[in-house]
Amino acid sequence: MHIERNAQVLRRGAARLAAVACLLLSVAGAAFGQNAQTPAADQEFTVTDLLKLPGKVVARGTNTTPRGLMKLRSYRVEEVALPRVTNVEVGGQRVEVTKAFRVTLTGAFPVRALPAVIWLDDVAIGYGIESEDLDEITVVTYDASAIKDGATIYISYGDKENKKERTALPEKLKLGTEGVKP
Amino acid sequence: MRKTLKTLTLIFFVAACALTAAAQTPDPGTTGAYAVTREEYDYGNLAFQPSGFPSAVEVKASIHHPTDLTGGPFPVVVFLHGRHSTCYGKSGLASLRWPCRSTETVIPSYQGYDYVAQVLASNGYIVVSVSANGINAYDNNVTDLGMQARAELVQRHLNQLNTFNTAGAAPFGTKFVGKIDLTRVGTMGHSRGGEGVVKHYVHNASLGSPYGIKAVFPLAPVDFNRPVVNNAALAVVLPYCDGDVSDNQGVHFYDDARYNVAGDTGAKHTIQVMGANHNFYNTVWTPGMFPAGTSDDWNAYVSGGTSDSQCGTVAGNKRLTSAQQRGTGTAYMSAFFRVYVGGETQFTPLLTGAAPPPASAQTTNLNVSYHAPDVAAKRRDVNRLLASPDLTTNTLGGASAQTGLTPHDLCGGDSPQPQHCLPSTQSTSRQPHTVPSARSSLRGLSQLRTGWAAGGATYTNDLPLGARDVSAFEALQFRVSVNFADARNATNAAQSFSVVLTDDTGAQSTVVVGSASSALFYPPGTTGPVPKVVLNTARIPLASFTGVNLSDIRSVKFQFDQTASGALLVTDLAFASAP
Repeated sequence: MHIERNAQVLRRGAARLAAVACLLLSVAGAAFGQNAQTPAADQEFTVTDLLKLPGKVVARGTNTTPRGLMKLRSYRVEEVALPRVTNVEVGGQRVEVTKAFRVTLTGAFPVRALPAVIWLDDVAIGYGIESEDLDEITVVTYDASAIKDGATIYISYGDKENKKERTALPEKLKLGTEGVKP
Repeated sequence: MRKTLKTLTLIFFVAACALTAAAQTPDPGTTGAYAVTREEYDYGNLAFQPSGFPSAVEVKASIHHPTDLTGGPFPVVVFLHGRHSTCYGKSGLASLRWPCRSTETVIPSYQGYDYVAQVLASNGYIVVSVSANGINAYDNNVTDLGMQARAELVQRHLNQLNTFNTAGAAPFGTKFVGKIDLTRVGTMGHSRGGEGVVKHYVHNASLGSPYGIKAVFPLAPVDFNRPVVNNAALAVVLPYCDGDVSDNQGVHFYDDARYNVAGDTGAKHTIQVMGANHNFYNTVWTPGMFPAGTSDDWNAYVSGGTSDSQCGTVAGNKRLTSAQQRGTGTAYMSAFFRVYVGGETQFTPLLTGAAPPPASAQTTNLNVSYHAPDVAAKRRDVNRLLASPDLTTNTLGGASAQTGLTPHDLCGGDSPQPQHCLPSTQSTSRQPHTVPSARSSLRGLSQLRTGWAAGGATYTNDLPLGARDVSAFEALQFRVSVNFADARNATNAAQSFSVVLTDDTGAQSTVVVGSASSALFYPPGTTGPVPKVVLNTARIPLASFTGVNLSDIRSVKFQFDQTASGALLVTDLAFASAP
């Protein structure tokens, strides 16, 4: 009886461990999916989760004058604390991270067949996801090194090599004095 | 004088051939004999859950069919629209959510192809157009950008048609029992729907092919994941002034399928429509035809696009009206499905380029490419130009040689070829054959990059013993584009050169390509994604090579003697016949 109860506890523990491992794997995979360096490792559901997790705004633009065909206005960068340490690939290396970053552009975005690519300087940090009202587009990345003070923020549609058809936001990325840390 | 006379005679002969083919080829885009009924079925906004997709989606579609079903069972064509906003509010502002709010109205993208469905149904087809708003609202959240979900949605509707055909179901009762022929099915997908129907072909095959998909028609498609159709007919429409899928990446479907499977019975086609944009193929996406969410994508998405001489709105532009564009859709979708699903082979010359566009296309400014099935009687590849050995020994095992050409190398294919064929100053959107894919690392089309700066340059492929009797084929053909990035081509001037066949006696026959084909046009435009290089088939009927013994041809020579200099991209040199 006692042994059986212990076995049940062990089984329950193992099941919880497996569930946690699954969650970790899926979160890591999701981040991959929105990472410019490793699109092949995406997992599907957790991109939605990463968009929903609470975030802390670490940078926010102030421009209110729309620019260009997409009426681009401004941006914000949010730091998202992950529920637990996650092992992901950034720039070809496996690293453990505790944070993701959401970069959101504001404007008026079309619903297009080609995906939107969001760039910080010449780094394509990932494909954007439109908000329901089409006034924002957001990309999630784990690559803190791409989020640099003074970086030009661009949007383009199509592949991640095409730097010739990008549109720049009216203002550059402005971080606080502390910047962001992985 | 004699040369001029000979050239004129040849032009007359080729023109006469084309006119004869045109005269003999009926117009597939005309309304047929059947009265048509249009109905819909709707099982709810969240009636189907695609695997691994963040939301359930709707099961809703229109169905056009012959009103009198007694002549059934009728072959089936399924349409799948592309990515577009899903709802709009009273202010007219579009949104991207599913289901729509109670204060919003659904944007019925699936209704935007009724103009084609009407024509096909009047000619004896059952046409189902599937609503996919639920997928559009969430597809950017998943790795494959919604392609598996689209494939499963199409299959869900085919299952529904199967139920209609066997037991019957609401809202139609038993009216379709025995009337739907699911062994003869064609699919058309627009935009992201284009890759969706290719993925569906693969999905249906993975299930043991419960439905007989005979023909797949991606219309202005994306190709993010690079699925491939083999052993079924394929036609890809490439709108030159596409402002959304501005890189014409859907050409990968054709390129990837060509030599993918030995013995592939599927014919492949591309139809490059000059002056066409992305949205005008769907009336619900066309300004003036629906109250919200519409745009002329070229003008709306391409920075500075309105000023482009080809695709913009400036005086003298070459854009098609929305009605003309729908004409090209009607003509070529009808031709394609009527040939490959309905077996109405009288329309085949439109798809091989043997006949010019029919009247229903409302334009003649389009280019048809054709890759014949991998069947000995239909295609004999002279040089596939896939890897460096092909520069010296062709696909048949004969010698391949050049004189006076520089460069004369392969580009665009697998490493070690350079990834792109144009210099890095040109954007990837101007190079559809090699544009990178969002979710695949596959490279692009291997192309011969060649050029000449003086007379006397030649490119010759010898035909070895056993491959010299080409008399049973209809045409010699290859795919080619003028390399606009090479200054040896005069800006905005078409290129030309000669093709020389030499027989066993040494007799030669020469055809000037510029007289037989329009494929050597200079790619027009100057803004953003144009000009762009798309390799189109130059088709030369073998009957126009007179005075040589076609049952013993020893070599095929390109003789660059029509212009002082030039540069081309070339691939797929073959003898071919209609499927």
